[in-house]
Order: sequence, then C-alpha cells, then structure tokens
Amino acid sequence: MTHRKITFVKKILADGQPCGKCRDVEARLTAGNHWPQINRVVVADERNEDSEGMRLAAALDVDRAPFFVVETPTETTIYTVFLKFAKEVLAATTANDDARLLLAENPDLDLL
Amino acid sequence: MATRSTESNALESHLEPTAKALLGDAFDRFEADQIAISFSGAEDVVLIDIATKIRPDVRVFSLDTGRLHPETYRFMERVRDRYNIQIDLLMPDANDVRDLVRRKGLFSFYQDGHQECCAIRKIKPLRRHLAGLDAWITGQRRDQSITRVEVPMEQDDVAFSTVDHRLVKFNPLAAWTSADIWSYIRSNDVPYNPLHDTGFMSIGCEPCTRPVGPHEHERNGRWWWEDAGGKECGLHGQNVRAVKIVG
Repeated sequence: MTHRKITFVKKILADGQPCGKCRDVEARLTAGNHWPQINRVVVADERNEDSEGMRLAAALDVDRAPFFVVETPTETTIYTVFLKFAKEVLAATTANDDARLLLAENPDLDLL
Repeated sequence: MATRSTESNALESHLEPTAKALLGDAFDRFEADQIAISFSGAEDVVLIDIATKIRPDVRVFSLDTGRLHPETYRFMERVRDRYNIQIDLLMPDANDVRDLVRRKGLFSFYQDGHQECCAIRKIKPLRRHLAGLDAWITGQRRDQSITRVEVPMEQDDVAFSTVDHRLVKFNPLAAWTSADIWSYIRSNDVPYNPLHDTGFMSIGCEPCTRPVGPHEHERNGRWWWEDAGGKECGLHGQNVRAVKIVG
C-alpha cells in the first residue's frame, strides 16, 4: 500500500467568500466519493497572510489555489490542475475529463 | 534601395512558396487518406486554396460544434462549392452534449469557463478523428495568440499521439501574419467568411466570439469574460513572494 498524505489547500477570497473554483473542486471530490483519500484540508485566507494555507503556498512556491500537495516517503508533488490530480493520484477521470485535461495542457487547441 | 512596399512584397513572395513546399512535402510523405486539413471556417481558407492547387482532392475536416455562426456554415458550403472538395463535419457525441446541457444549461461557459464545453464539442471529436490519420494540417499562426508564439512549421503532435500511434502536425502558415493572410486572400480572390467584414478577426462558436476593435489582438475576441475569472485563481496576499506555477 502506498503511504501518502494528501493536503487540499482551498482559498477564501478577500471578501470572505470561498473561491468558486474551490467550490467546484469540493463538489467533484464529493461526487466522486474521494474525500476519504484527502488527509487534510487547509485554508489559504487572503485576508490573513499568516493563515496556514498562505504560508504553505509561500513555502512551496505556489501562486494559485486550490491546489493539492501529495507527499510520499520519497517525494512531494504539487498539483494546481485538479484534473491532473484526479487522473494521476485518484485515477478517477472520465473520457470527458481527459479531453478537458488535454485542453488545459494544450491551450492553443481551443482556438481550433 | 528597397522601399517598405517592396520589402513587404518580398516577404509575401517567400511565404507562399514555403507553405506550398511544405504542403507538397507533406503530401509526398503521407498517403492521401492519412493526411487532412483542419478548416475552422475562417481565414485558414488560405490553406485550402494553396493545398488544392497541389492536391485537388485533399481531405478537409471541420469541427461542427453545433454552435457556429450561420455565416460560418454558409461559408463552409461556399468553400465546398468553390474548391469542389468534400468537408467532413465532425460533430460532438450527442450524449455528451445532452448531459452537459441538462446539467448546466446552454451557456454554462459564461459561469465556469469554456474548457468543459470545448472539451466535449471540439477536443473529443478531434481526438476521435485524428486517431484515424497519420498527419494533419492546421492554419495555426504565431501571431494569433500568446499560446502560439512558438508554433513550428512541422511537429510531432504530442497532444494527440499515443504510444501506438505517431501523429505529425503541419502548420504551413505558422510564419504568416494576419496582414499576410489578408494580402493573399485579396490577391488571389479567395472567398472569406463575411463575419470578417463586421470586425471579427478570430471566428469560433457564436456565443464565445465577438468582434474586436482596430488595435485589439484577435485573442480578445474569444472568451473575453474569463479574464477576471482567471485572475481569481491567484493568491493575492500582500506579502506572498513571487512564485512559479507548478503541475
């Protein structure tokens, strides 16, 4: 069994509202019943630069949220694209997700 | 001493032969049924004009998302008649579209971005079609978008190749500018989408495309509402140090 720890970092906007993308990711985690695989949820609160999520983002050199930190005994991997995380870590993407990921990784394709 | 006009003509005069040579080479290397042009229904009609002079029965396909402008459908028909070619219209999977529309309605891209809709209406049909080809030809140009500044004339298509299937992509117009394209269209009496006469530079789906001003970049004519949303993903704390984007 793989010993890994997954941390989900979500963002609270400066106006106190959760960010829309974070809500979307949470809905996807719920719909796919993936929460049991998430070990920790950390909040990056834009109103509080000392919030754990903001400090973690700074420490890991990440400039956007939501993001996932996947730690294993040998490496730490950061995913800022949920679909990539879903595919590589949760192994839970559909053909539509794969197409969307392809587009995310090749943004020029949307101009076709 | 060369004037600006003659320099411009010299530039144009090498672009067309270079594109022709690349297309000729591509047609020599790939069987007729294994290579096709991707036609968007916009100014990439130039590709068809050049290619049909080399191979009159060149295969052409278009992504029919179901949301194109009526003018674009009529233009495709005009191109079909003018060049006496068949155009394969690639359509999205009906169940995918039905599911998306049932869940989110017809205009979900205005709320949560265009990627989900584009994935269903463009990427999946394109991937399905390209699986049956060894090479494809696009009208991508370096001046179209910041995402295309490094488009080469020929490349291994890493996006759609698989372990078992290598796909090559040709971009004969990569070095052309918008001005070069329009110079060619006018000089060669090439038909064009009438939307261009009303300010459209980049033409895609009707809900996601708009005219742009004289000094605006053509990318501004697509998904304009997403600019603010895209920035929302950033972390805006005052003292968060500059950081890189990772996987």
